[in-house]
Amino acid sequence: MNSIVSVSSISKKYQLPLSKKEASNSFVNKFFSKKEYVEYWAVNDVSFTLNKGDKLGIIGNNGAGKSTLLKILSKITKPTTGKVNIQGKIASLLEVGTGFHPELSGRDNIYLNGAILGMSKKQITQQFDEIVEFAGDQIIKFLDTPVKRYSSGMYVRLGFAISAHLDPDILIVDEVLAVGDADFQKKSLGKMKEVASKEKTILFVSHNLTAVANLCNKTLHLEKGYVKQFGETGEVLNNYLSAMQNNLLLQDFEDIHVAPGNDLVRLKYAKLTPSLIGAQLIADVRSSLKIEFEFWNLLDNQNLNISLHIYASTGECIFNVGTEPKILNKGVVQASLLIPGYFLNDGNYIVSFMIVKDKSIVLFNFEEVFNFEIADFREETTWYGKWPGYVRPQFDFPIQQVSQKI
Amino acid sequence: MSFITTSRIIQVRNDLELLLILAKRDISVRYKQTFLGIIWAIIKPLVTMSVFLFAFKNVSNIHDLGGYPIQLVIFSGVLFWNFFANTFQFSSNSILTNSNLISKVYFPRIIIPISAISVPFIDFIIGFIIYIILSFSLNYSISLHILYLPVAFFFLLLFSLGLGFIFASFAIKHRDFLQIIPLIVQYGFFVTPIIYTSNEIISKTWFKYYLFINPLVGLVEFFRFSLIQGYQVLSFFDFFVSCLLSIVVFVLGLLVFKFKESTFVDYL
Repeated sequence: MNSIVSVSSISKKYQLPLSKKEASNSFVNKFFSKKEYVEYWAVNDVSFTLNKGDKLGIIGNNGAGKSTLLKILSKITKPTTGKVNIQGKIASLLEVGTGFHPELSGRDNIYLNGAILGMSKKQITQQFDEIVEFAGDQIIKFLDTPVKRYSSGMYVRLGFAISAHLDPDILIVDEVLAVGDADFQKKSLGKMKEVASKEKTILFVSHNLTAVANLCNKTLHLEKGYVKQFGETGEVLNNYLSAMQNNLLLQDFEDIHVAPGNDLVRLKYAKLTPSLIGAQLIADVRSSLKIEFEFWNLLDNQNLNISLHIYASTGECIFNVGTEPKILNKGVVQASLLIPGYFLNDGNYIVSFMIVKDKSIVLFNFEEVFNFEIADFREETTWYGKWPGYVRPQFDFPIQQVSQKI
Repeated sequence: MSFITTSRIIQVRNDLELLLILAKRDISVRYKQTFLGIIWAIIKPLVTMSVFLFAFKNVSNIHDLGGYPIQLVIFSGVLFWNFFANTFQFSSNSILTNSNLISKVYFPRIIIPISAISVPFIDFIIGFIIYIILSFSLNYSISLHILYLPVAFFFLLLFSLGLGFIFASFAIKHRDFLQIIPLIVQYGFFVTPIIYTSNEIISKTWFKYYLFINPLVGLVEFFRFSLIQGYQVLSFFDFFVSCLLSIVVFVLGLLVFKFKESTFVDYL
């Protein structure tokens, strides 16, 4: 079989200025101080080949190099070293509605976006009605309205509808499945499957392992720019999941002198234990999380309490919970917290906690004690989009038919 | 082999279509949400001309226009300059203003600065029509020299676009170049014979060198030669030098752009 995509040891280097201030880029600073850059290899020695019809899932944590790899494959940026050889027409969908102009009508934007994505005018005209129909009834009414008046849902639906009608040999997709409402999701996934059956080669980046498992026959696992594993999806996903499980959520300091903290308090022990159900390998939305700490208190007769913060990876604080204040003496102090299952949504979270004296004075803030991920879990669903929100509670929400008359 | 050639042709046709649709986008967005719409393209050059007409008659001591009607000299100059200034500015800024496209989709990057000429071109056409009307209303007919207009315009386009390519390529990494553009557009206007003719400076000893530094001098006189009946201030040789320089700038611009385009996305 001929390989349609062959990537041989590509690497991409970025140079990031060492100083935080962008201002250091100015001539005056350059003149007086030596240019200092940190070299950063976003993608490092990545090789793989795909045959016609392969569906490749690309997985890895944030910063693993997935997006950079997609940009190299779609020719948007060049690799620093290495070679990419792709046979056939590529379409890359790195976002929905690329190049939509807010002032132009939906109709104009279909032509504009189609042309940007590489469709000819003829192709667009031929498929115009299909695209509009796929986007939904609402769009038909507002076809001649500027898209700046569209709701974000309509905008995204129109964008996806155009993308779905591209006809490339190789399709590069970056999580665009995660758009629109549940109904539209179903439709998009159906379309993806239809495309998938057409002997097309697809490269698909996703955080959603369920979607990767369903759509892709091969998977590439990236870690810090390197290929961790490339192979059959089942095998790669299994290893990925067990690696995540072994990622120790434990901090244990034997020696008080090297432990983080100050002259007042020092961290001795911290552990995060997710409850795993059945054959489950990593914490998912069902898991409860047990957090335990021990710290050395170095002063007698202190009125202390612990205040714990959980942050989303984007930096927002999800919640803050504190213990009761208590008079504590020199020695080891222990505390534990149980976060129930079906509480946090899937995503990356960061735990920090601080030790507070007299309810007001922060003795020490232990930042980023844990950095953990909660995987998604769904049963009997056809929708694989990102579940919105930071929390995912299961409240009692009964629905019933009260009458058969209208 | 023939397969490759066919897909090449399809590719080139698609690229041309993309160029046209981006050009169309810029035109249709230009006067959105304005009451007067395209009329602004008429008002702006007329206002510029009137202001300089006022300055001429009341303030300046530029006098030797060689007997050509002052309105036509100024209006043709402004028409010429507006096209240069807008093409140069729009194409220089185009990569940055379209950064959302550059960072998400691959297509030949050169399409972006080329498509930026659409708006200046439409403005030019409208301005040209006004010029014709103005010319006839001053009892100045259009001579056969008008046949040179496409030639003069072509070299003006090459020069403006070439300069735009160069600035677009460098401005991505060093935004300092964006600061230079308004300086060129504002002060270039005065050092180039736009609101006066080369007659004013032709006797200076530095003039023959100046022709080599600033191709716009020869180009604007070539442009007026084609528009204003009986107008000839510089020789054909001077025109030729300026046209040649325009080609040099354009080719240089293309080379710089080709050399730099693969790094654009890393600095956006």
